[in-house]
Amino acid sequence: MTPATLTAPKQLKTTSTATTRPGGYAGNLLRVDLTRRTCRAEPWGPEMMRELLGGVGLGAMILYRETAAKGGKGNVSWDHPDNRLVLATGPLAGLPVWGTGGLTVCTIGAGTNGPTSTQANGFFGTNLKYCGYDAIMVQGQSKDWVYLYINDDVVELRDARSLVGLDTWETQGALYKETGLAGHQLSVYSIGPAGENLVRFAAIQGDYGHVASKNGCGAVMGKKRLKAVAIVKGTKSLRAADPRGVVQAAEEIAHDLRTDASARSLYEYGTLPGVVNLSKMGALPIKNYTTNLTSNVAGADMSVWEAPKLRENFDHRGHQCNACGMHHCHMSVIRHGDQKGKIVDEPEYEGWSGCGWAIGAADRDGVAWLNTQCDRACVDVNEWGWLCGWVMECQEKGYITKEQLGFELKWGDVKGSNRLLQMVSRREGFGNILAEGVKRAAEKLGGPAKECAIYIEKGATPRGHDHRSRWEEMLDTCTSSTATMETGNPVHPTEIGQPARINPFDGEQVAKYVAGLRGRRSFEDSLGICIFTSRTRLEYICRALSAATGWAFTVDDALRFGKRTAAINRATALRCGHTGAMEYPSTRYGSTPVDGPAKGQAIRAQWEKMLDTWYAEVGFDRKTGKPLPKTLKELGLEWLARDLWGKKA
Amino acid sequence: MSVLRLHPQKCTGCLRCELACSYMQTGEFQPAKSVIRVSPFEGHTSYAPYTCTQCAEGWCMTACPVGAITINAVGAKDVLDDKCVGCKLCTIACPYGTMFYDPGTRKAFKCNLCGGAPACAEACPTAAITYEDVATADWLGDFAVERTARVLAEAR
Repeated sequence: MTPATLTAPKQLKTTSTATTRPGGYAGNLLRVDLTRRTCRAEPWGPEMMRELLGGVGLGAMILYRETAAKGGKGNVSWDHPDNRLVLATGPLAGLPVWGTGGLTVCTIGAGTNGPTSTQANGFFGTNLKYCGYDAIMVQGQSKDWVYLYINDDVVELRDARSLVGLDTWETQGALYKETGLAGHQLSVYSIGPAGENLVRFAAIQGDYGHVASKNGCGAVMGKKRLKAVAIVKGTKSLRAADPRGVVQAAEEIAHDLRTDASARSLYEYGTLPGVVNLSKMGALPIKNYTTNLTSNVAGADMSVWEAPKLRENFDHRGHQCNACGMHHCHMSVIRHGDQKGKIVDEPEYEGWSGCGWAIGAADRDGVAWLNTQCDRACVDVNEWGWLCGWVMECQEKGYITKEQLGFELKWGDVKGSNRLLQMVSRREGFGNILAEGVKRAAEKLGGPAKECAIYIEKGATPRGHDHRSRWEEMLDTCTSSTATMETGNPVHPTEIGQPARINPFDGEQVAKYVAGLRGRRSFEDSLGICIFTSRTRLEYICRALSAATGWAFTVDDALRFGKRTAAINRATALRCGHTGAMEYPSTRYGSTPVDGPAKGQAIRAQWEKMLDTWYAEVGFDRKTGKPLPKTLKELGLEWLARDLWGKKA
Repeated sequence: MSVLRLHPQKCTGCLRCELACSYMQTGEFQPAKSVIRVSPFEGHTSYAPYTCTQCAEGWCMTACPVGAITINAVGAKDVLDDKCVGCKLCTIACPYGTMFYDPGTRKAFKCNLCGGAPACAEACPTAAITYEDVATADWLGDFAVERTARVLAEAR
């Protein structure tokens, strides 16, 4: 799609609202009240769009405004009917920038009982926008199981009792049959048994393999008895302020992703290269953080884990998200072993680690199968790795007995892991304790078992790496208000005045770096774009946004916007009862590697100093955790300063 | 003449072609107005684009009672908007399902090869759609047979 071919469209049509609504927006928010069983479209205006963009920007504000309790001093809990479940896209969703089917889920999550920002892709955002909505805001609680059906102006809460008990893939299949649609004609995001049974780390899964996985957002959906959201590919049009500019920016982003050294392997193989690359840095989590040597996993041969071999082990087909040219998401058919012939979603790096290395499994066919079992049950594959690996270690050491668990579970036992997964997602036997997530289960068992568990004191768990050699992300995850990384990995850090590289084991440098990168992640997660296709220069993304909307959006605007969003989420988190005392890794998570490339690097020794530096750099009060009035005023959040500090501000 | 050659095994179902096509057709992004459509196979694991093959028979042209379908400069069958009366006979006559009707404009519309620079081929990131000087053919038949065999077997 070179710009030259797009200069002369056959006929130009403009809608009557074109002069008031910024391009890229559908123009309506869809409010769904499950208690009252009502669905209504709420138009939103250009000022609000400019201020909140979409995604987490919009979601953070809705949570702050609508989930307060006790006159603003407290917050509703995750299982309260007044909790909101915001399923938001953004201004770039549905446009021809790569990977723009994006969905951001914002809610008070079951993991931390605090704010959430978790993303997935596929075609949710695209289909929703073409139906005429930029986001769905779900509130209340249904008496019976329902699913939300959206087809342009037809929005209905439909009986989902026949879907209860089905896993997420079965649910999508059943809804295909019910509607007579298939493929991207119908985007379905649903919960499986884990969500129905309020497992604390239940995810929302959609479009075969895309997962909004963090902070138990699937449990929130389960509590509301909302089994699925099914969106027909709508027939409405999206206008861009400068369509040619959008296409040009998309081409620039695509070119950068194809050719830039830092993005090229991602372009060719998605996140598959992560396994071998991270193992060389000591950041591949192996057997519940007990080792960093791949040779300690039975049957591990790293040569077959190189990305091309990993992909070619399966009969694979591209399965891209909206308008995406990355060779990232794939569907695979298993060629060998007892699951031969099964169709699975090609695991992301996180799947290979959570269903593989973290539990000591190196059988690629088995790991790929287990990964899809997690998606089908709708559990967060990261937390699954930490939970299952923990149970395996505890059983090896005698902290959890065979009688307690009901069977013997050894390192690398993929089938046993699936058995445990089914127990947890249905809360059967010991699975009922484990369904509370790593932190709560570990605290329940206490003693030496607790010492082995990987979690953050807030109740969340890390993504699928060994952060003992990735200190930025451990600090980011622990200080985050959204139960997972809030700043994220550096992408072209020099573009925003940060050093190209730092000493990864110098706490001071790490803390400054994490603080310095702040803002970008929240901005990206507000656009309806994929985290991987936005691994390009921020300038290009701003250019795409400006062309879509007609605003002049700069890199400075983007960072400021992101910091503002993060500050609002922080205010909600404080209202939820989060404190500085929770910003610590568990004993094992913050331990020192005993072998491998990062052997002896002790993050705990520098942790307090890192927190001090981070707080000073981001302008938050170390004692109360609040953003300082000065910080908030600089971000144009005078109203939030008054809320948090009263007249003192 | 050059035609759109479809390589279904390369399609990843990203629908970028639909976006590009709808932009060329309407000036807005609206896949519902695209004249190239991506269909799923095996339920959801395989995808393939399909559009007018510019077939030699020209069923749409033959069927049109008012002579509104003509052959344009690059050899594509094209609808003349000022002649089309919106009777939809062409959509019935086309054996490939690649004639469309727009209830908004009350006109038929179809692939006109973008006047010689098809936007879908330009937009496709995997070269599953190419614009080539070859004889037109049924690009999807064998693929469809292979990829639906599993689904049909399960249905039996």
